Amino acid sequence: MDYSLRLHVVTDNWVFLVSGIYATLAVTLGALAIGVALGLPTGMARLSRRRWLSMPAIGYIEVFRNTPALVQLIWIYYCLPILTGINMSASVSCTIALGLNAAAYIAEIFRAGIQAVDRGQVDAARSVGMSYFQTLRKVILPQAVRRMIPAFVNETVSLVKYSSLVSVLGVADLTYQAQSLSTTSYRPIEVFTFIALVYFLICTLLSYFARRLELRMAVSD
Amino acid sequence: MPAMVRVEKVSKAYGSLPVLRDVSLEVNAGEVVVLIGGSGSGKTTLLRCINRLETVDAGRIWVDGVRIGATEVNGHERPETEAELNDKRSRIGMVFQRFNLFSHMTALQNVALAPVMVQKMNSTDADALARRLLQKVGLGDKLGAYPSRLSGGQQQRIGIARALAMNPKLMLFDEPTSALDPELVGEVLDTMRKLSEEGMTMIVVTHVMGFAREVGDRILFLEKGVILEQGTPEEMFTRPQNPRTREFLSKVL
Repeated sequence: MDYSLRLHVVTDNWVFLVSGIYATLAVTLGALAIGVALGLPTGMARLSRRRWLSMPAIGYIEVFRNTPALVQLIWIYYCLPILTGINMSASVSCTIALGLNAAAYIAEIFRAGIQAVDRGQVDAARSVGMSYFQTLRKVILPQAVRRMIPAFVNETVSLVKYSSLVSVLGVADLTYQAQSLSTTSYRPIEVFTFIALVYFLICTLLSYFARRLELRMAVSD
Repeated sequence: MPAMVRVEKVSKAYGSLPVLRDVSLEVNAGEVVVLIGGSGSGKTTLLRCINRLETVDAGRIWVDGVRIGATEVNGHERPETEAELNDKRSRIGMVFQRFNLFSHMTALQNVALAPVMVQKMNSTDADALARRLLQKVGLGDKLGAYPSRLSGGQQQRIGIARALAMNPKLMLFDEPTSALDPELVGEVLDTMRKLSEEGMTMIVVTHVMGFAREVGDRILFLEKGVILEQGTPEEMFTRPQNPRTREFLSKVL
């Protein structure tokens, strides 16, 4: 095998490559926001004793957890406009798709976190006259969220990685930029190793900050 | 004067297992009523029905003349709204066997939370109130401590202060010392004794017969969801009439 590394392919084009980070982060953060906003009520509904609330939530969670994310992305990009007549750019459509996917997982994280909070906490809050939502907001969620941090970071990290799927639909994220550069420069090893490193860095940093946050929040335990 | 608590023919079952059968009870203002009985006798369930942490299958309950579990307007009753239930509950303090302090909050925050959330008190006043109540239960130096850093006895006294913060007319104690190490029981009982001396109406589920005898005005013996016998501590502990009461007391005394 005689392949000599030409690192200048990366150094000469690093602005082009790194410009993909913008799309990668935008998709990830957008999907995360959708995931949290939708995941919390879905997780709550999943826990409800009312079947008309819990059944749709279970259905939603199961559908999104048991179909490939790539298929979800493609389906929402190509099929949703046909069914609804709403046309979206690839990046918006991908953000929504990944967000819907993340919501299913985040709903389960919320459910598990809420279920792990001792039932006595609810009794105590209700006994002093606090309403269901006050109890949720002031007592259950603050305790649940602490326990959820590790699972939540996991989900964020996998979202960063899943965001690379959007390159398939032409969103100019890190992976897409790397593919372009690799085809024009014929240097896949340098280019793909470099972006793998970038993904690695983003995810490692995330985990690092999450661990510090976890330690800081552990004061009261 | 109407009774502070009136329980009228209350029944409740968990599935096919009856836990309360046709229980009736009146508690006067300022009275300390102690519920005793073996596990599964329905003591805790009865307590939890009074502030509607449990719903009843049949029967009616009033606290301070206000119907719990429904709302009565001019003799007609309708289902109570959540706001009505919260309002009624806020006047009934409850202390739990396992303290149930909010673990992510300091002692002060635990006590100040409900006045802010439920009574819409401003936080300066609520903090002052919490400080005063924590001093009252002997924990004026632990305001900023988290529950996990405190002993069981200290936690339970915070639990009492938290319940008192809503200025309740009635205090329910569900085995308040059962989860405590023996040397910590005294400090919690002292706090409760002080409360009874101030005239608080109290219903106490406990296994500490010494306390029942000393502080209780009336002792109720429950078995299988029925009040088998009741009387003054004197009557109950020296000459119980029911053979089941005698048998129970001979085991625990």
